[in-house]
Amino acid sequence: MQITVEKNGEIGRLTLSGRFDFNTHREFRNACDETLQTPEIKEIEVNFSRVDYLDSSALGMLLLLREKAQSANLKVSLTNCTGLVQQVLDVANFQRLFSIS
Amino acid sequence: MDKPLNILVVDDTEPNLALISAFISKLGHTTILARNGQEAVDLYRDAAPDMVLMDVMMPVMDGYQATAEIRKLAGSKWVPVIFLSAKAQDSDLVRGLQVGGDDYLTKPINLPILQAKIKSMQRIAGMQRDIAEKAEQLALYHAENEREQNLAKHLLERIIRANKPNDPMVERLVLPATRFSGDVIATEFTPNNIMHVILADSAGHGLSAALNVLPVVEVFYGMTKKGYSLATIVRELNSKIKQLMPTERFVAAVLAAINFSERTIEIWNGGMPTAYFVDDHGEIMREWQAAHPPMGIMSNADFLSKTETFHWAEPGRLFLYSDGLIEAENEGGERFGTDRLLEALKEKCDQGQFWYLVAAANKFMGLDNATDDISIAAIHCPMAPVGEVIVQSEPPSTTPVEPSESRLAVKLSPPELKSFDVLPWLINWLNQLFLSQRQYQEIFLILSELYNNALDHGVLALDSCLKHQEDGFGRYLDMREDRLARLQHGAIEIELERVQENQVPYLKLRIVDSGKGFAADSMLNMDISSSIRPAGRGIVLVKTLCTELKYQGCGNEVIALYRLQ
Repeated sequence: MQITVEKNGEIGRLTLSGRFDFNTHREFRNACDETLQTPEIKEIEVNFSRVDYLDSSALGMLLLLREKAQSANLKVSLTNCTGLVQQVLDVANFQRLFSIS
Repeated sequence: MDKPLNILVVDDTEPNLALISAFISKLGHTTILARNGQEAVDLYRDAAPDMVLMDVMMPVMDGYQATAEIRKLAGSKWVPVIFLSAKAQDSDLVRGLQVGGDDYLTKPINLPILQAKIKSMQRIAGMQRDIAEKAEQLALYHAENEREQNLAKHLLERIIRANKPNDPMVERLVLPATRFSGDVIATEFTPNNIMHVILADSAGHGLSAALNVLPVVEVFYGMTKKGYSLATIVRELNSKIKQLMPTERFVAAVLAAINFSERTIEIWNGGMPTAYFVDDHGEIMREWQAAHPPMGIMSNADFLSKTETFHWAEPGRLFLYSDGLIEAENEGGERFGTDRLLEALKEKCDQGQFWYLVAAANKFMGLDNATDDISIAAIHCPMAPVGEVIVQSEPPSTTPVEPSESRLAVKLSPPELKSFDVLPWLINWLNQLFLSQRQYQEIFLILSELYNNALDHGVLALDSCLKHQEDGFGRYLDMREDRLARLQHGAIEIELERVQENQVPYLKLRIVDSGKGFAADSMLNMDISSSIRPAGRGIVLVKTLCTELKYQGCGNEVIALYRLQ
């Protein structure tokens, strides 16, 4: 799993690649914290275009990000969700919690 | 300074022995002396020294052989052996190290180098000793951990009642990926004979996941036995999990309420794979996709407890399973997947769809090797209602007190009729009268039957004849849901009273609805055995349980008298 962080004005984009599971915990948290601590960022995009798998602990990490973002008044969106990623997010009904595209 | 060592010095020449032992004593260590290999082995066995300085060429047994013997005696304990030899060829050094020596010094001995070697060996020996101690601690810790895990497993199994005798209507399988399962299947009957089933999958695996399912099963069993509806139970479960667990933890679950006499299945699916109703010919008659996020994520205000109901017109089975089944991979990294699952379910198999599916999954990936918890449940749904099931609930915990006359009256308007689970609440009050298990069940049945009649046929003005038409039940359920959602006017009044007549205590039950009333007389006079109509059957059953049952007014008021002794 690799995470790249891009900051583009008000948007912070986390691009993940590979398997998004429990082993990604620390890396994902660091990337989130780094983005959340940048004052000019108003929206966080998590880009799933290169993710081929995510498990229930990945869903848990997204919930944590959502909670932190909410308390900082930031929007979180999940982008480029296709195939298996989309299936997992559908079953978990995460469209009720995030804007997903 | 380091702890003094006891050093075994082996040499067949006295001057060498004297020189070395004097030098070692000066360094603060003690010595024991051997004059040949055999003596060295014997002394090693008796005195267990900390280090050995070994000559090579000696009578009786040479240094190489003695070293090999000592190594055998020492077993897993490491004792440094330094060769001191006049043989200075590379091949001698190599042989010395091969038989188990740790270092090799040539004679004449350079004493400062010997001192440095002893010091370095002492340091290595100290490290070895630390590691051995740690290994021992680790082994103790491991044993202790094993013991505690076994105890935890035992307790968890008791609490979730994993060993509860299986209901004959339910086939089930739970395969934990580790010792503990984060998946759980539980079934329990409500007092009015509706089977509740939960198949829950807690995020993660192992002990932490297994702990998460504990509050789930406790709430599920407790509320089902008290007769709460599925919607009320999932709402409570969601709020309990949200309150107890950290943000990143949640529990996906599918819950079903199965009414065997009405032949309906009500489902709430939060984050679980699609559930299926498959008839006995292998046709999929209905599927329930996840309509909600898992439990423990949504706040109470955002939580939706909306369920979906299905009426079965052909006998079949309800299949519930966790994602561990469809996501399990075979050796080639291929998933079992929904397609294979559906293929297995379509297989015509008189009594064996469940085991056919288990066998298919096992053949595909070897269920023992699963990396995620796998659980599967099939609930058999026949055409004829299953026999009465005795609900096992705890006896009252306090001694019964004879209550005097008591009376409870409630009026429910549209908001309560839409969402308030009134029956368990009333029954809770009735429990003050210290009902026996049998009375509890019978009163629950009478209350729920009369209340549902008042709501469906009174307030919502639904025609029960609709249920008996072809496909009528589905339309009936849709209309019910629709009318209830749009309900603006109407009310149901319920009055419960404990009365005495000729020294005999009775429970008097009066329910009045705002509807137009209906011709109950014809139903009341029906013979229970000849009635195959579910709606009629209920009221006839109520009649047999009551001393008196009469409809008044225009048929919108019912009074039931139930004998308490």
